[in-house]
Amino acid sequence: MNRPSGRLLVCALLAVLPVSVADPAETPKPGGILNATLLEAPPSFSIHDETTISAVWPAMPCYNNLVLFDPLKKQESLDTIIPELAEKWTSQDGGKSLVFSLRKDVKWHDGQPFTSKDVKHTFDTIRETPDITSKLRVNPRKLWYENVESIETPDAQTVVFRLKRPQPSLLLMLASGYSPIYPAHVPVPELRSKCLGTGPFKLKEYRQGELIEMVKNPDYFVKGRPYLDGIRYTIIKDRGTRYSALQTGRQDIAFIWEVAKTIAETTKHAAPQLVLVETSTNVNDHVIVNFRRPLFKDSRIWKAINLAVDRKGYIQAGRQGAAIIGGILLPRPYGVWGLPEDEQKKLPGFGDPVKQKAEAKKLLAEAGYGPSNPLKFAVSTRAIPTYVDIASYIIDQLKQVGIEATLEQVETGVWHPKMSRGEFEVALNLTGIGPDDPDANFYENFRCGSIRNYPDYCNPEVDSLIEKESQTLDQKKRLALVHEIDKRLQLEGARLMLGWSKEYVLMWPYVKNLVPHQSIYNYGRMQEVWLNK
Amino acid sequence: MPVYLFQRFITAFLTLFGMSVVIFVLLRLVPGNIVDILFSSAGFVNPAAKQEIAHELGLDQPIPIQYGRWLRDIARGDLGKSYRYDIPAWQVIKPRIPVTVELAFFALLVAVFLGVPIGVLSAVRQDTATDYLLRTLSLAGLSMPSFWLGMVIILFLVSWFGWIPSMTYVSPFEDFKAHVLQFLFPALAVGYRSSALIMRITRSSMLDVLREDYIRTAWAKGQREWIVVFGHALRNAMLPIVTVIGIEFAFMIGGLVVTETVFNLPGVARYLVDAILWRDYPVVQNLVMFIAIVVVVANLTVDLLYGWLDPRIRYRVR
Repeated sequence: MNRPSGRLLVCALLAVLPVSVADPAETPKPGGILNATLLEAPPSFSIHDETTISAVWPAMPCYNNLVLFDPLKKQESLDTIIPELAEKWTSQDGGKSLVFSLRKDVKWHDGQPFTSKDVKHTFDTIRETPDITSKLRVNPRKLWYENVESIETPDAQTVVFRLKRPQPSLLLMLASGYSPIYPAHVPVPELRSKCLGTGPFKLKEYRQGELIEMVKNPDYFVKGRPYLDGIRYTIIKDRGTRYSALQTGRQDIAFIWEVAKTIAETTKHAAPQLVLVETSTNVNDHVIVNFRRPLFKDSRIWKAINLAVDRKGYIQAGRQGAAIIGGILLPRPYGVWGLPEDEQKKLPGFGDPVKQKAEAKKLLAEAGYGPSNPLKFAVSTRAIPTYVDIASYIIDQLKQVGIEATLEQVETGVWHPKMSRGEFEVALNLTGIGPDDPDANFYENFRCGSIRNYPDYCNPEVDSLIEKESQTLDQKKRLALVHEIDKRLQLEGARLMLGWSKEYVLMWPYVKNLVPHQSIYNYGRMQEVWLNK
Repeated sequence: MPVYLFQRFITAFLTLFGMSVVIFVLLRLVPGNIVDILFSSAGFVNPAAKQEIAHELGLDQPIPIQYGRWLRDIARGDLGKSYRYDIPAWQVIKPRIPVTVELAFFALLVAVFLGVPIGVLSAVRQDTATDYLLRTLSLAGLSMPSFWLGMVIILFLVSWFGWIPSMTYVSPFEDFKAHVLQFLFPALAVGYRSSALIMRITRSSMLDVLREDYIRTAWAKGQREWIVVFGHALRNAMLPIVTVIGIEFAFMIGGLVVTETVFNLPGVARYLVDAILWRDYPVVQNLVMFIAIVVVVANLTVDLLYGWLDPRIRYRVR
């Protein structure tokens, strides 16, 4: 296995973190059904069509990737990637070819053998190559594989990804829960309503909007796995009922993405035996200014907005203490790539709030706004409590420097189309990043012309830097470049970063080997989970 | 009678037709459609792909054409395909109808068995301590939304018994006790509120009847109290009570949204909200039509019951 350099750096980061909650003294016990919770029905089982954890979490046990982030390691990085359908992999041609040797003993849930054709079929479908027979309904991660020039299958057990240029991040994206391998012999549209993979669990029953039941795959290629006999994902829409069900032991684990700090603490108080794991979701909170509007072409305006917001206040008032300050990439201790705290604190917006507010007022005055002529605009946000709470806090902060902002709540169904079309002035947004990786974040959110570059920020110099970091194999040099880009994006107002939310996973102590990662999308395989009942 | 029935069926048909137009148009006036939602959080959005899906779902057609297709499909017994689940809408709706109907039925039983006797007792013991107590109970029922009562019941069960009913539907053939417990608490929550209304109507209707001359005559003849109250008074006080029961049942079918959500019952009402949020037009249209049909049929049944309860009533065509 040829892994990119920089291992020492990552190891050093990992050394300061608690790595796994698994107790080596405990011997895993096979058997039992895990009662997991969902807050909504998955839109479909086709992970490649979807962008929500509600789809990835229940569908992941059904599938396998070529490679995966080690489910037992808390922090994901290049060094925690383990083989799944690929037995081993090598990087060749100076990083321009990624060669995977596949396992021979793998079968699909319908008994068909797994081969390299399935891998090619999967990624050709995402890349939308001309020879594909059926398309994904929505293809949200096509950009991830933009650098893949071709996929070759010299034999049934070998796959070669030919790249346009070296890209160490590709392996991270392949290790994400968003990158399962699909069967070539099943039309892609069929996989929206059924789950046919090679994974440790098979779909037994789906009662739409109510229950997803999985059973152990007896032919799973990893001998002795999974430990569980099955998983029941119960869809419980009411939050109070979800926590009542957890508290009374009807559910073994809460849903992994929604637990506010106060709810987690209240539930833990009511049932002290529950295990509460604090982690990150790899979701950041930020303010967006629309650079398409003439008002924001004047940098003094967006700089004033940035300076007006007290970040410590945001953590307390907007997130009830459940967030950390950070920049464009997830900071430590959860992430690998984020700016160190001391560097982040030197950036505008993260300093003394009193001084910053005075500076913001000065900038506004220079731009011609003051008490007699206040700056007015709407702050748009999704009509979801978390968004509205933070947006309300932002509006209050803006009022303190004399900006008269109003709140516009936008229904989820029209939120992203509205943002893509640039129909807003200022917005409060949350962005979730699949793997904790610079490419997954930069290309989607900051490159000129990207559909999710909502503020329409564009700097060709930064684009060149992104290209450069993306193909830098030396991880130390890459990290330095990533930090440089992070700072530039913040200084140029590409996103007015507030911070990164924390997550609280609640489960009963008998649930073992379910280790929350810094990204919610990558640890739902359930292969290693067992119940100590 | 047959002419009256025919006239009522025609009226019902026209009502349902009007409802279908309103549902269809209102749904499409709400901003965003399923295609917007499908692509809402996708990083890469190809406008051609969006257009393709809109075409596949027929959403690029003018509204009158879409409406015509819906009516044509209904006439053929085809409820369309759920945009969200990619399976026939009937397959999504079918298992939910019995759950909601059963819950509404049990809730109505609770409401009737609580409301009618209490209303009678309250009327018979007018202006006594019992009457005041029962009226207070009734007022409390009217003041408490059923979903709030549902939450209180859940909290009570969790705090006192460390137990709540099953979070997934349990068939009576699989586990009868668990099935009954699953429906008992939501039925109590919904039924209590409805019972309050029925109790008040029963009381006022009974008070009117109890003042009638024939009741006074029955008392004077020395008839037993239960014969006077239940045999003469209640029977003659039934018309407004039956009307309220009919209306309550019809409203229950559509009004169980929050109760089904709180008790996690996979019924029609809970799913309807989900389908609206997803702009799953075929499912929403057909579910709302189902509710409309229940309301119309319940009203018709109540009207027909009048003749059976009071033989003096004659159905005439105006």
